[in-house]
Amino acid sequence: MIKEYKGNDMIVADSIDKYYPNGCHALKTVSATIHRAEVVVVVGPSGSGKSTFLRTLNQLETISSGSITIDGTSMYADGTDINTLREEVGMVFQGFNLFPHMSVLENVMLAPLKVSKRSKRDVEDHARELLHKVGLGSRIDNFPSQLSGGQMQRVAIARALAMKPNIMLFDEPTSALDPEMVGEVLDVMKSLAQDGMTMVVVTHEMGFAREVADRVMFMEEGELLVNESPDAFFDNPPHPRLEKFLSQIL
Amino acid sequence: MEKTPNNMFWHGALLAVLLGLGYSIVLASQSIEYTWRWERIVPYLVNTEPKNEYAAFDGVATLSAENSIVTVKPDNGDMPQTYEAFTEVMVGDGDLVFAGDVIGSNSDWRLGPILNGLLVTLQISMVSLVFAVIIGLFVGLARISSNPLLKHLSLLYVEVIRGTPLLVQIFIFYFFVGTVLDLDRFTAGAAALSVFAAAYVAEIIRSGIQSIPAGQMEAARSLGMNYAQAMIYIILPQAFKRTLPPMAGQFINLIKDSSLVSVISITDLTKAGREVVSGTFAPFEVWFTVALLYLVLTGALSWMITLLERRMASSD
Repeated sequence: MIKEYKGNDMIVADSIDKYYPNGCHALKTVSATIHRAEVVVVVGPSGSGKSTFLRTLNQLETISSGSITIDGTSMYADGTDINTLREEVGMVFQGFNLFPHMSVLENVMLAPLKVSKRSKRDVEDHARELLHKVGLGSRIDNFPSQLSGGQMQRVAIARALAMKPNIMLFDEPTSALDPEMVGEVLDVMKSLAQDGMTMVVVTHEMGFAREVADRVMFMEEGELLVNESPDAFFDNPPHPRLEKFLSQIL
Repeated sequence: MEKTPNNMFWHGALLAVLLGLGYSIVLASQSIEYTWRWERIVPYLVNTEPKNEYAAFDGVATLSAENSIVTVKPDNGDMPQTYEAFTEVMVGDGDLVFAGDVIGSNSDWRLGPILNGLLVTLQISMVSLVFAVIIGLFVGLARISSNPLLKHLSLLYVEVIRGTPLLVQIFIFYFFVGTVLDLDRFTAGAAALSVFAAAYVAEIIRSGIQSIPAGQMEAARSLGMNYAQAMIYIILPQAFKRTLPPMAGQFINLIKDSSLVSVISITDLTKAGREVVSGTFAPFEVWFTVALLYLVLTGALSWMITLLERRMASSD
């Protein structure tokens, strides 16, 4: 299947470098372009910089040099409000990071109410619709501590979607889940991909990468080594280190 | 098999120990031949003595129909004086009264000096508590700020306040700050207590905020909230819940520390106790009573915080 991208670049990362204060060189001149409605999966061994790369895309990590453009807005340009930019970019974390002192519905409603200043009625309707969509319409009054890991992660996805983002970032969304709950979260992500969401997913789920991704990236030691279609990535690995990595995990 | 302790036995043992402690106090007071006169304390708690009203000048008294309002018409033709709401009227209709005569008396209950002192302690503790939380919140937030000015200034504040005795701070606030800013003694005392407790509250709030996982702030920021919104809606409510137990301890300390303001002549519970001792020569009874009243205040506070903790535990 070949998608039409119409030349619309959602994320442009141009030779970004990232040094941590301890001197660690986490990203080494990484450049990548991600188009509208594209699903990109980033894989690599732990410590390869894939999470760091993902977190630079909504400035949870700042970069040391290079540039990042989100939907035409340059992230580090003067006059760019990072909070406004972040409204465009939803993020789902490995550890869910739900707000434990709020009910499921309040978790989803908080940011649209306080940040987007939408009307309460509008926000609540939207939140209920999203929670219904991720299969949690009956748990809206529960607190996060009363939910399973898979349910919490689905709430987290609904919470990110409530801001009506154009891009969704997933940072190992299934790594903290018991095996039997991985499927329910991946299903939600698949349906999101089918709806045309631009997604960047850091994951170890190779099945998801092969089935859903339009492109798969391989990172190692801060370098982006492979950026290919899933077929070429898995069936004909273009880099010896990717070949070695795949042989270790498959 | 699991061994369960014999609860009946140990509760009985507890009772025996408490009774033994009580009996040892009785024995101790017998050994020094002290006569307990608890009844002497009562008038200093609640003053039931009738309060007399005296005539201000010579004149003729007139009583109203229900004998409750007395009007005294002065001989020299000045404005008559009226006295109302007596429980006992001491003059008759048409009586001649002279300046200084008792016209009537009121036997209403009034608070004695000890309970008045309790009210002052409660008042100064509550005022200081509110300001300690407000100042402490700002200092605590400044402590975790990345701005060097705020960070070091707040650290300096905490170190200076925690490194000097409260008694000395009270004197400085009363004699130096109070003189410069022309503060009355209550304000100076409350300010010293607030500033002192705020340093500890700041550290409690700082550690509470730092105990919230970094992912909470990241999640809030990733949703487009700014730092202040993330703090107000996400971090502080969770930190507040975690800081309740140490905060309760700090508030209880504040109530107890408020006894030190008696050194600048604020008639709080402790100062009232000292005054009553000199009037009754019953120091044992007075100090036991004062201790009990402090215990009532601190006990009520810790009970209220336990209730609050239980209410906030609904999301656990």
